[in-house]
Amino acid sequence: MKLRQTWQFIVITALCCGLMSLCPTPGRAGALESFKALDGTLDIAGGTAHIPVMQDAAKNIMQVNPKIRITIAGGGSGVGVQKVGEGLVAIGNTGRALTPEEVSRYGLKSFPFAIDGVAVAVNPANPVGALTSEQAQAIFAGKITNWKAVGGKDAPINLYGRDEASGTREVFWGKLLKKGPVAEKTNIVASNGAMKVAIAQDPGAIGYLGIGHVDQTVTAVKLDGAEPTQENAKNGTYPITRKLYMNTKGEPTPLARAFIDYILSPEGAPIIQKHGYIPVQQ
Amino acid sequence: MTVPDDHSLNLAWRRRSPRQVEGPFCREKVVRVMLAGAMLSAALGVAAILGFLAYFAWPLVAGGHLSQVFSWHWQPVRGQFGILPMLAGSLLLTLSAVLAAYPLAMGLCGFVHGAGRGPWVRPVLALIHFMTGIPTVVYGFVSVFVLVPRIRQWLGGTGYSWLAASLTLSLLILPTMVLLIHTQLRQTDSRVRLAAAALGLTPVQELLWVRLPQASQGLWAALILGWSRALGDTLIALMLSGNAPQVPQAVADSLRALTAHIALVVATDVGSAAYHSIFACGLILFAISAAVNLTLRRLQAPVAAPHHTHG
Amino acid sequence: MAERLERLFTGFAWSAVLGLGAVLAGLMIFLVQRGLPSLGTALFFGSTPVAEGLMGRLPVWDGIWPACVGTFLLVVLASLIAIPLGVAGGVYLAVYASRRERRVYGFLVDLLAGMPSILMGLFGFALILLLRKTLLPSANTGLLLAAGCLSLLVLPYLIMTTQTALLGLPSALHLTGLSLGLTPWQNLSRVLLPAAGRGIMSGVILAVGRAAEDTAVILLTGVVANAGLPHSWTDRFEALPFTIYYLAAEHRSAAELDRGFGTALVLLGLTALLFLWAYGLQRTFARRWDRRVNLP
Repeated sequence: MKLRQTWQFIVITALCCGLMSLCPTPGRAGALESFKALDGTLDIAGGTAHIPVMQDAAKNIMQVNPKIRITIAGGGSGVGVQKVGEGLVAIGNTGRALTPEEVSRYGLKSFPFAIDGVAVAVNPANPVGALTSEQAQAIFAGKITNWKAVGGKDAPINLYGRDEASGTREVFWGKLLKKGPVAEKTNIVASNGAMKVAIAQDPGAIGYLGIGHVDQTVTAVKLDGAEPTQENAKNGTYPITRKLYMNTKGEPTPLARAFIDYILSPEGAPIIQKHGYIPVQQ
Repeated sequence: MTVPDDHSLNLAWRRRSPRQVEGPFCREKVVRVMLAGAMLSAALGVAAILGFLAYFAWPLVAGGHLSQVFSWHWQPVRGQFGILPMLAGSLLLTLSAVLAAYPLAMGLCGFVHGAGRGPWVRPVLALIHFMTGIPTVVYGFVSVFVLVPRIRQWLGGTGYSWLAASLTLSLLILPTMVLLIHTQLRQTDSRVRLAAAALGLTPVQELLWVRLPQASQGLWAALILGWSRALGDTLIALMLSGNAPQVPQAVADSLRALTAHIALVVATDVGSAAYHSIFACGLILFAISAAVNLTLRRLQAPVAAPHHTHG
Repeated sequence: MAERLERLFTGFAWSAVLGLGAVLAGLMIFLVQRGLPSLGTALFFGSTPVAEGLMGRLPVWDGIWPACVGTFLLVVLASLIAIPLGVAGGVYLAVYASRRERRVYGFLVDLLAGMPSILMGLFGFALILLLRKTLLPSANTGLLLAAGCLSLLVLPYLIMTTQTALLGLPSALHLTGLSLGLTPWQNLSRVLLPAAGRGIMSGVILAVGRAAEDTAVILLTGVVANAGLPHSWTDRFEALPFTIYYLAAEHRSAAELDRGFGTALVLLGLTALLFLWAYGLQRTFARRWDRRVNLP
């Protein structure tokens, strides 16, 4: 009974929000204000690169209106597509563009909100600071197995990679490895965060993660002379880039719509920048 | 009140419809039906799991992908969905864990039942019981920060390896095995033990030459159940084994277990061959479980006390 | 020759004990050393004030209180489902079942007991997908599904402990009531079950402990890294074992890692207490009914 009333309330609010959305971009406090009238649970799942941004946005929203509940799960871009496509969550995050097949099969709508680069990362104790594409391809294919072959210490190279659900992996494999072979002995970790922890703990490690996740515990190496920074990602100097997307099945629910608008609004931009990404609207 | 003549004093009540359907006997029938229904729920649970696994793995057979799934390379981007490396990984991991844990379990039981001095026996047993209460995830958590860096230092590689997972897994299954063997050893006929004592055998001699040979069934049961417990564990393999889909060539190499594989791959696109292959993994695990149970039944081992057989 | 073997065995037994003791001591000292400093209200509630966080009025972001609540609700729900079914099933197997039924059902229960827990999670996940396509389009992963799968996990423990407890009673107890004219159900409810009470309780607590610590099942059926307090039975939830796993793999700062150690200590304390309580109950039960001479 209460659920039905809640839904009626949401529908009415949605109509009002719909009318409001026809207006130009709301004022400074507008995006968060709209949450005060909403209620319900928003489930988000998918790309692990998005999680810090999602968490901060959720924190702000839930402080404004504690009745709203936002749950955030990881799992990778594959999980995002799977869960939002099957209707298990309202927003599925992906770190790669949706394939036409996914769009047609599930009827998904994409909302890109940030630009992120994918960097090759090594442990800070590793003297190697730059690699060429060929070297990177050979390393990840397992052809080069010792750091001294690329100018480092005489130590074996420990490969870390992501699982199949990862959008980061997809972009990295497509754009840097040029869909080439990947060594079977690569250790698999389940998220960007896990990749960072793994590389930070292992002096001989090499892996890849979103530039937004790079901090002082790992070192991102230069690729063909290009510095792995978000600015370079944006202006094209650093070629391994992807956008971060929020996806919904068909039109988003009112709460999801409000959330997406919040992230895309000027209020959402500082959150995105704080975690090292470049907002798309800029 | 006379005792009705169709009640036997046997503990197992035959399925006999009570001839009197009034009074307490109608309630008896209702109670019996309810209890039987509850029992059926467990049976239904097993059937449901098997049914779902089969149903979702069916597209593999129907699409002719089965030979693909039973191959040696897992590289979905190239259309290779072989789960045999994971099967090998599971087997290697669990067999090595049992190899490490079983002698230790025998030693511990030997201590408790013979080699130990009086006041030390109870604390050791209490320690084993305490170990059953340690969550799997805590073993994994501590091993990540204690074992993995040391293996990386001494044996090379990433540290997330066969060895790391195997050692932790053996610690996990140790209390299971110890308690099973312990229960079995305790069931020795007291007359036999009295006779042995009367003949002047020391506790160790009695254990080695009298009780252990008698308890051979239980020893096999402990081995097999411990192995099956190791096979069913997901988290330790997921956290410690490195999850590379390859057959490891050395103990410092990374491997992937069937259970960890399911956990990693369930997130993929619903409907692809990769997704269906995890149900094939599930069926394999189910089949192994069933085979283990049948073997134990064949051995006529006693029903294992439940807190020793974690799944 | 035999003497040497015996001496070797004794030496091996002692070294096994000392080795195990050293490993466990090392494990516990490491955990307590890293985890004890983190214990406190900050671990549970983060930066949210305790009173608000407790009642759910304000969301708790950096604390494990939602995970504690999630684990608690999971365990309660799984117990509500599994305990009646398990105890009833165990009673049936011990007292009413025919030999053939005991063989068949016993086999199925053993099968369920030995099954890897991830298969229950997989089953739950597949069930939801199937339900969405057919009967219940709004079905979703969440507390109810996870508790259902957990109850499947602990059901065999309950059945087996109840059965063992009832069969562990002296047969005189079974027969006396019947010979005095009690019906089987009266005998059960007034004589046998109270007598086996402790044994059955120990099984219940074991099941509760098992449900609290399992991770593989909830991994696939609705646990997430951030969810706050659940509001309904179909909500996503947090849970202690998953929080530990998540923090081990993806801690973003030393503070988060310390929180992981604190959480591990909390979960360890919880399950250790439960299992020791179950063990204590089992021992008093056995002491009361066991006719064996030695009881180490």
